[in-house]
Amino acid sequence: MTQQRLGMLCMAPVALFLLIGFVSPIVIVGWYSLMQPRSFDLTTVFTLANYRSAFTDGYGAPFFWSLGGAAVTTLTCLVLAWPTAKLLHRIAGRGAAVITALIAVPIFISESVRLFGMSLFLMPGGGILAGTVRALFDVSIGSVLNTKLGVFLGLVYVHFPFVLFPVLLGVALIPQDRIDAARDLGASRWQVLREVELPLALPGLVIGALLTFVLCIGANAEAAILGGQTVTVLTRAIEQRFSYAQDWPMGAALTMLVIAMTAVFVFPALSRLDLNRLIRR
Amino acid sequence: MKETAVPAKTAALSLIGLSRHFGPFKALDQISLDIRDGEFFTIVGPSGSGKTTMLRILAGLDQPTEGSLLLRGADITRTPPNKRPTAMVFQSLALFDHRSVGENVEFALKMRGMPKAERRARALELLDLVRLGAEYYTRPVTQCSGGERQRVALARALASEPEILFFDEPLSALDYRLRKTLEVELRELQNRTGRTFVYITHSLEEAMVMSDRIGIMRDGKLVQIGSPAEIYGQPRDRFVARFMGEVNIFEVADHRLAAFDAQVPGLERGYLIVRPEMLHPAGPGEAGIQFDATVTAIFHLGSRIQLHLDSAAGPLVSEQPASCGLTTGEVVRFGFDPAKTHSVAE
Repeated sequence: MTQQRLGMLCMAPVALFLLIGFVSPIVIVGWYSLMQPRSFDLTTVFTLANYRSAFTDGYGAPFFWSLGGAAVTTLTCLVLAWPTAKLLHRIAGRGAAVITALIAVPIFISESVRLFGMSLFLMPGGGILAGTVRALFDVSIGSVLNTKLGVFLGLVYVHFPFVLFPVLLGVALIPQDRIDAARDLGASRWQVLREVELPLALPGLVIGALLTFVLCIGANAEAAILGGQTVTVLTRAIEQRFSYAQDWPMGAALTMLVIAMTAVFVFPALSRLDLNRLIRR
Repeated sequence: MKETAVPAKTAALSLIGLSRHFGPFKALDQISLDIRDGEFFTIVGPSGSGKTTMLRILAGLDQPTEGSLLLRGADITRTPPNKRPTAMVFQSLALFDHRSVGENVEFALKMRGMPKAERRARALELLDLVRLGAEYYTRPVTQCSGGERQRVALARALASEPEILFFDEPLSALDYRLRKTLEVELRELQNRTGRTFVYITHSLEEAMVMSDRIGIMRDGKLVQIGSPAEIYGQPRDRFVARFMGEVNIFEVADHRLAAFDAQVPGLERGYLIVRPEMLHPAGPGEAGIQFDATVTAIFHLGSRIQLHLDSAAGPLVSEQPASCGLTTGEVVRFGFDPAKTHSVAE
């Protein structure tokens, strides 16, 4: 009993912090989302008008670009991370540390700095890529800067490490003898991947996918720096409601929808995940 | 090669000059061997002798540096493991922990695209064959005991109806009683199914109980191949003799066993291999070599006792009936008959 009380006591500071810093803002935003459009007061007169506009007033495109972009980026990162992780796992010790560092170090540099670097690289005409190609081969190439493809490349580039490291953890969960056994029992390489490797590495894949997906839904720097005006992502739309449009309740309603959608993806995935298995290894 | 040569049509698996090098290290060095159809062949050797490397090459999980491998005369050296009609029971068992017992057993059948109902029926048959009830079908493998997991691994390997089954020390992690039970069951299963079993172990006892023939491996080479009785009674050299259990080895030079100042007319130069049961307290006038030895320790082996002796030729081991009445510290006259003793050159 005393131990339980001690536990409660130890938990109190964190709980208090989360209550003030996390729960109360959500409550306030949730409350605002139910107020009259363009009002600035918290009253007890509730309305669902903002949620209705969210589905009718042309917010479809930002939702589509953010969710679609997040899904495609997550999938692309997973597809890229799997062979990379398998390779790093196989050469573990020999050069793996160098490759891992090369992938990890950029995380410590501000995202916008990296993205501006990438825009310099992709810039048409005198950009690093186009300029080099022209100087060496005397060929003029176009640029993906300020296109949707540019945004997509930026998203993949920024989020790849967030998928790679959990996937690497997942790959480390696959014992080699299980792969040998499956091969021995007649499984082709593709069947081994589907029946043995992916299920065994699933915890790592799920964590990596969730991390990337959630980060991508909230990402706006890629669209701003690499996309020009070609796409308006959800976070940009929300920011515009709060600042430029001075419509707090609308911004709040969009925010609540993003939170709800994130929860729809995160909670079912997390509940199926055996975190203990990851930690024990 | 000569002693193992059998007509090609009865050789289930032929190894021809098989070598596997890891850099300068020769894990397997020119192994040639014919494994007969339907036999229980055991490869015995100390750890690091290349047993597992050899089995992995036979299963297709590793590639030989040199040499070739024939299955009923057809070259399968470069055939990938999933295209070989063989199955392996791994030392770690390598069960799929994320699947149920049934799904483990059915794995090979699923890979071939057998319909679900058919798979299930076959899996239940196999579970019955390894003495696991139908209730195990849905059980997660993580909830099975060591012996049960062993049986699941066996059923899983049998499911693909392999022509040859490979076993990589699958019993080494089990307790003594269970191991003994499974040894007998495995031998029975081999008789019943008529399949070729290739088994590797470092346990001589296991090899003796189960095998039709035994191959002794040392430093990547097969040093002797023969029936358990042949290998026990006529070891090729001192290494095999020592590996096959307790043994006393006496060096002979110029027909003389120097330590006992005794003549050995039948052997000019070499080593006498005297098993503990052949070294016994000697009566006066009995034929053979006799010497005095002090009993330094007695170990009880059930109906027999093992006597550790100290003699002019150093420490010796003898096994006698428990009723022989010898006690520790006693000085006893022991003897053996060199005429009935196996001898080796090296």
